[in-house]
Amino acid sequence: MTNVDWSLVEVAAQLLKRDERDAVLGDLVEAGGESAWQGLLDVLGLVIRRQALRWRSWRPWLAAFGLALPASLLLMGFSLSVSWTYQHFIDPKVPQANGLMVGPGLWVLACRVFLLIGWSWTGGFVVGSVSRQTLWVSIASGCFPCLFCLARFREESLSRLCLLLFLAPAILGVRQGVRIIRIKMGSAIVLAMAVTALVIPARSGMGPWMLNWGLIWPAWYMVATARKPG
Amino acid sequence: MLGEFEYLLIGAAAGLGDNAYGAAIREEIEATTGRNCSIGALYTTIDRLEAKGLLKTWMGAATPQRGGRAKRMVRVTPKGVQAAKDFYDVVTRVSRGASWVANRTGSAS
Repeated sequence: MTNVDWSLVEVAAQLLKRDERDAVLGDLVEAGGESAWQGLLDVLGLVIRRQALRWRSWRPWLAAFGLALPASLLLMGFSLSVSWTYQHFIDPKVPQANGLMVGPGLWVLACRVFLLIGWSWTGGFVVGSVSRQTLWVSIASGCFPCLFCLARFREESLSRLCLLLFLAPAILGVRQGVRIIRIKMGSAIVLAMAVTALVIPARSGMGPWMLNWGLIWPAWYMVATARKPG
Repeated sequence: MLGEFEYLLIGAAAGLGDNAYGAAIREEIEATTGRNCSIGALYTTIDRLEAKGLLKTWMGAATPQRGGRAKRMVRVTPKGVQAAKDFYDVVTRVSRGASWVANRTGSAS
């Protein structure tokens, strides 16, 4: 193999864990007779098998398509709702936007802001903790609706960034989920009850808003999988 | 029960003894069967067998002929030996009446 060919194989092998990369590249060097193309196929074949094995579990499916994808859509909608509430709060003359019922005062705004943070953080946490090894697919699943909605956003009174208010707490949640996987039972129960209780004052009307109730389950999933005392 | 490739891998590793590692096992399987053995199939099967407790693996020392890279050494565990023996017994028993088996009672010669 030439140096250039070998570099391609080494780049592909970066997708493997360190020990496995060492063993595989060493095997290819030792075999010697294989072409660079064959070596590259060997390495990529192993990478694909490794990825495919991960998808035999329910966890990556739940994280990517059961949570990241639908939650990012709902959270974008709720981010928008929070932005309208804020707009109405600072200037009550602004008409009720797009048929949404905007509740009065600071109390509703605060509830919605806390609820947005709670839903985003718990959703991110569960995405990060349920399937760490396929996190990149979950992130892509969450980003796809964001890009789609950003491209089609036509609301003149609001910035496009208002769609992404959920992003910061969600990213923090993902980071925490990847690092600690499970939180303490007491903290999980308090968090889940707070998130559930906040829904009542923060809700606005029926219809599409009712779908947001689906954002509660990550908090209760955290309770179900929390570290038991002792 | 073991699969065909799992049995080949355990058989090759057992035959190589202390020299059983990725490249040597691959070479042994290819030489014995005459079939290509991909690195992907080899290492995912090693992982699966290790998870079942049939193999034990560890990283060996780096050698110059491998470009200073370590080997993944493989040893068959007692449970692996038993699983391979069970597989071999089943194949032997099920083949007893087959026409291609030499010294078969009756028609074979």
